Amino acid sequence: MLVLTRKSGDGIRIGDGILVTVLEVRGKQVKIGITAPQDLAVHRDEVYRMIRDQNEMASGAGGLDVGGVKDAWLKLIEEKGSKKDED
Amino acid sequence: MKIKTGRFGEIEVDSSRVIEMRGGILGFEHLKRFVLLVHRENHPFMWFQAVDDGNVAFVVVNPFLFQVPYEPEISDDAVERLSIESEKDVVLLVIVTIRKDPFRVTANLRAPVVVNGKTREGMQVVLEWGDYPVQLSLVDVPVQETPAADPDRREMKISTSLGG
Repeated sequence: MLVLTRKSGDGIRIGDGILVTVLEVRGKQVKIGITAPQDLAVHRDEVYRMIRDQNEMASGAGGLDVGGVKDAWLKLIEEKGSKKDED
Repeated sequence: MKIKTGRFGEIEVDSSRVIEMRGGILGFEHLKRFVLLVHRENHPFMWFQAVDDGNVAFVVVNPFLFQVPYEPEISDDAVERLSIESEKDVVLLVIVTIRKDPFRVTANLRAPVVVNGKTREGMQVVLEWGDYPVQLSLVDVPVQETPAADPDRREMKISTSLGG
């Protein structure tokens, strides 16, 4: 990993399209500005991982086939119905 | 055009209904083309099927079917990338995770799939505001009374019917 030391207001260029700027350093937090081409997605790492993991989990659809997914919906509605009855 | 899928076999899809993903589904960025498949039967789970990998399909649902406060704020950046001119053109879908246990069906409200219904460009947008859950339990929220076959459902304009 390349490690660079920068001050508030300094920037780092990655290739010719990406500019990372340190906007503010306060205590334990650093505010960073990122200028990148539109086709590049920029995410907080932990958020990216969380969404990616959820997508991966979702992509299998619980191993269910088309009918299974329909049943899952019907069961969901049924469960809601029985919850309503309890109210 | 014909596409081969793991679940539905070979299906015929109007090529004008292919959704081009900008940035893709996180973790599946290599897949750029999707189609939205809707069952003719009356149930609201739809499939967001990858065109270029028949084995990848996500179950998606219209989030407004559920009575939960949901006012996703789409960033200017996403609006620009998808060339969205009017709120009316936006088709919003959330990805559903179905597990073996039917009572653990959850929806990802934090990162909806946003599609410009006019241009059929889409992307998975991670919402910055609202602190929406990645795993909203669908068992615990009430469903709107609107019938699933409501012709006004915007997603119908960009979907392909699976029939049967």
